[in-house]
Amino acid sequence: MKTHFLFPHWTKRIGWILFLIGLLVAIIYNINNDFLSGHLKIKVFAISETQLFDFHNYFKFIENDILDELILVGLIVGGILVGFSKLKNEDEYISKIRYESLVWATYFNYALILFFTLFLYGFSFLGVVFYNLFTLLLFFIIRFHYMIYKLNKSNQDDE
Amino acid sequence: MTNNLKIQRAIKDISQEDLAKIIGVSRQTINALEKGKYVPSTVLSLKIAKYFDIKLEDIFGLEETD
Repeated sequence: MKTHFLFPHWTKRIGWILFLIGLLVAIIYNINNDFLSGHLKIKVFAISETQLFDFHNYFKFIENDILDELILVGLIVGGILVGFSKLKNEDEYISKIRYESLVWATYFNYALILFFTLFLYGFSFLGVVFYNLFTLLLFFIIRFHYMIYKLNKSNQDDE
Repeated sequence: MTNNLKIQRAIKDISQEDLAKIIGVSRQTINALEKGKYVPSTVLSLKIAKYFDIKLEDIFGLEETD
């Protein structure tokens, strides 16, 4: 079957490695910031850098700890590869499950955002903004693989 | 949509696995078709009918809710 916009099957493994490392480091980073911070300070090019009540930099090279950038790149690139690389037996039924999982994950993600919009205020809401950089992908990956797991299980039961 | 894929398979004495390979889908898809969980695309339906060498209507049929 012709599939559009999907990555080859072999990229899925790379995706899992990037995504799981990203997730693990993100969790550690959230629990104990000091332990991991400050080890990866390098010069980076910033289109814009603004600090609260402080300075503004535009189109300048600045010093920055790139750990959080690396975490996010790992989560996004890894997540995209895990969610959108072909399965070994990719066919039209799998495509349908993929599509429905994506719809489900989008509703679920935005339902959470709506809930937190109404009940979290001030800085508490910042966490929502941060996590939402990758939660849509996370929910989609969980839902899609759960549906595939259920499908395989119901197949084994029939044998 | 209804289908009698399971019966057609029995007549030809071919397993889900082998049929899946010939048609070019996963075995899960054949299984889902037989259970009525999945309505196949036109291309897949035509491939199945072609393999069994019968008309599309002899395998697939509309239900009242369709």
